[in-house]
Amino acid sequence: MLEGVKAIGKAMGTTFKALTEPRDTIAYPEKRREYAPRFRGKHMLARDEDGHELCVGCGLCEAVCPAQAIRVVAAEAPTDKPVSWTNRYSVDYEVDLIRCIFCGMCEEACPTNAVRLTPFNELAAFNRLDMIADKEELLSPPVRR
Amino acid sequence: MIRLTIDDREITVPEGTMVVDAAQELGIDVPIYCYHQALGPLGACRICLVQVEKMPKLVTACTTAVQEGMVVHTRGSAVDKGRQGVLEFLLINHPLDCPVCDKGGECFLQDYTFQYGSAAGRYDEPKIHKLKDAAINEFIIIDQERCVLCQRCVRFMGEYVGEEQLLLEGRGVETVVSTVSHQPMDSQFSGNVIDLCPVGALLSIPYRYKARPWNLERAESVCPHCPVACTTSVTSREGHVIRVEGRPIPGHDWGWLCDRGRFGYDFGYVEDRLLNAWLDGEITSAAESTRTIGSWLNDTLEQHGGDSVAFLVGGQQTMEEAYQIRRFADEVVGTSKVAVSRSVKGYLPLGLNGTFEDLDRADTIVYLGQDPYDAVPVVHLKVRDRYRDNPGLKVIGIGAYDLTRSTVPGDAFVLEPGEEAAFLAYTLAKVAASNPIIARLGEELGDFSPTFKGAKSEQEVETLGRQLLESEHLVLLWDGKDPHMESVLLALRGLREDVTAVLPTFGPANWRGFERAGIAVDYDRLEAFVEEAIQGKIHLLFSIGADLLRDYPDRERAKAALAAIDRVVSVGLFFPEQRELYHAVIPGAGWSEVDGTYTNMEGRMQVAKATVQPPGQSRPVRTYLGSWAHALKKSFVLEPEWDPFDHNAGDLIAKDALPEVQSVPKPARPAMKDGALRLVGTALVMEGGMPSEILQPRIPKYPGRISLADASRLGIGEPGGELGLRGQQGMISVMVAVDERIPQGVLVLPYGVVGSPLNQLGDGAVVEAVSLEEVSLR
Repeated sequence: MLEGVKAIGKAMGTTFKALTEPRDTIAYPEKRREYAPRFRGKHMLARDEDGHELCVGCGLCEAVCPAQAIRVVAAEAPTDKPVSWTNRYSVDYEVDLIRCIFCGMCEEACPTNAVRLTPFNELAAFNRLDMIADKEELLSPPVRR
Repeated sequence: MIRLTIDDREITVPEGTMVVDAAQELGIDVPIYCYHQALGPLGACRICLVQVEKMPKLVTACTTAVQEGMVVHTRGSAVDKGRQGVLEFLLINHPLDCPVCDKGGECFLQDYTFQYGSAAGRYDEPKIHKLKDAAINEFIIIDQERCVLCQRCVRFMGEYVGEEQLLLEGRGVETVVSTVSHQPMDSQFSGNVIDLCPVGALLSIPYRYKARPWNLERAESVCPHCPVACTTSVTSREGHVIRVEGRPIPGHDWGWLCDRGRFGYDFGYVEDRLLNAWLDGEITSAAESTRTIGSWLNDTLEQHGGDSVAFLVGGQQTMEEAYQIRRFADEVVGTSKVAVSRSVKGYLPLGLNGTFEDLDRADTIVYLGQDPYDAVPVVHLKVRDRYRDNPGLKVIGIGAYDLTRSTVPGDAFVLEPGEEAAFLAYTLAKVAASNPIIARLGEELGDFSPTFKGAKSEQEVETLGRQLLESEHLVLLWDGKDPHMESVLLALRGLREDVTAVLPTFGPANWRGFERAGIAVDYDRLEAFVEEAIQGKIHLLFSIGADLLRDYPDRERAKAALAAIDRVVSVGLFFPEQRELYHAVIPGAGWSEVDGTYTNMEGRMQVAKATVQPPGQSRPVRTYLGSWAHALKKSFVLEPEWDPFDHNAGDLIAKDALPEVQSVPKPARPAMKDGALRLVGTALVMEGGMPSEILQPRIPKYPGRISLADASRLGIGEPGGELGLRGQQGMISVMVAVDERIPQGVLVLPYGVVGSPLNQLGDGAVVEAVSLEEVSLR
């Protein structure tokens, strides 16, 4: 009987001691963990200072992608409203985020530094189609809070 | 033969071979920009440097002929350093454009720089800027900054084709490739410079920014547009055909294409492409249309029997499809009425059929009624190739107008329309009258004597006769219009001791293949079908890939035939002309959508692979045949295993016995009123056939051609004008322009011009020029 009480007391002691110790978990989503500066999350397509798209649709990211997650369709840039800094641009740019292994080879291959991997990693959706990021989505990158 | 050693391997090659070709034969890759076997050595780019032992410096492999005992090293530190230096110079003013350049990924400058080039350039001065993205015609843009001045394009157009439309302009580093007088290139062979350009300087506009080599699928195919059936490589991306390139076959074909074949691939995607089934003018589901047509077939067979059903096969079907159609007609329907839709009446016996190799050996080439440049452009290029090898080549044009052109000069005999066969019989009788074959040929000729437009003496006719009999290798290109020519050709073959080869320039493109598949292709069969249809003996017609109204020489008769048939079903890629005559139109699948074999004008069978899926509801013919057999509750096993290739004859169809020579009747000359014109049909590869949006700017605005004298009489100025024509059977209006090769009193019009159907008036018909108001009132 006394043995039992002693054991409970010891266990509770451990519990109460842990209450005051620093925590290993964080209260997500109210609090978020700090990531390494070169963390590779969701892709974005960058623009230059004038707001022109940097992507010229060369397709090197598509070629280098080991998971075949990228699809690029290039076209001649419209002359009336300048969207690109040159006369070739990507009319379609899709990243299948389910296939993507976030290796960052696309970023490395990009000759115009248009594809970049952001630290944003909150990737969840209710269906597979929503996990394919299209060009519009990639041009307005989500900000990690 | 000469023995030499390349990279420690011995090879024996004929004298005069260049080192680069000898290396190629061993499978050793020597980099090349300027050299092309068809164009010969030039030595402009210097990239092909190799080391030859006992020679003090590096030499260019493309300009060095092999010599006995030569020892060549194609790699090694000296060679690599030499090539690195050449590349450094080539790249001095080359822009760093690769991400936006269409050639990226299949560019020889990229490949060789990767292989031999240095990692960084040492040139710090600003680069020279030149013209970028300038169109040199409707299909091609030039980027002069990317050019390495290899001159392949300039030499191809100037030396090979003989149409000098590109040149080098400027000096030194300012040298650029440009068009002559800065006018757009209008050659039929302009597209070949895209294939020839080793870098991204000459690029295709329709293919611009469409794809990269790594997202392409390439399939071996053959061009479907004319009877030459050039070998092509079809490029598709994501189920769309986006490019056609020439596919060279070493030792047999250079892989040149005409612009029709290179850019006319978009017929599958034009607005008019049939994507749905139509029953009595309404869109229906595929299932509904198949059921209904099945019940029509069932009813017709029950009421009128098998012989009341006919099949008309046209143009673009593959040999396998033709075979299935023939079997379906035989086994399921039980009819023998299978005809091929034709526009000319002639037939060429297989035994007379020559090959393109005959063109390579010819010393005399005769054009009969047709300028090959218009109908079978790549054959013109082959003739030109022969002319380059053998400047003594005799070219003779015999037809209603001057068939020769400056690129392959020749002698022209300009006759009254439709008298070519009689003229040849007359000519042969002049030089070999005693021969029984010639006597048989001329039995009905009577007192025929040819009249020439432009002076030709009897002496010249005799010379022609002797040339025809005595030349060492005679090739005739025949337009197939006059069925009596067959006998003349047979007689010529019978008389001559040396090779006599005939190449038929007439369509439909795959007619020889249909014959191999067991369908009688002769015109009499088609004529019998039309006659029976008019008499009401045919109650159901399946018109498969055919358009009788467009093809048949007499439009009114074709209309009457179709109108007299109870039910007309069309299977094809497009609506046939006057679709109200058809009760059901269902979408078929064609070139690039079905695997199959096509036979060309040589009688050579070539396989074309399917690259894409048929769009919309369109399906291959075999699918429809299977479902109709099902509707009849009959079993019809589609045999995909049927192999058209004959294991003894290879890819050429086996030759058979020649028929007897028949006599040539005396041609009747119609009475010509003052100011009347004779209408002469011609095949033009740009006209008729499949529609194409890419080709639209190249389709001639003035397809009709008349002489200067007639033009000034009728008030047609530069660049051309519209002319109303009245014949016995109706009126049409034609856009005409002046052509100095046309004699007075003749109007040459291509078959199949949209809005100006030649068969409304008839080939060879006498027509009068009338006012345009009169035509619009008809």
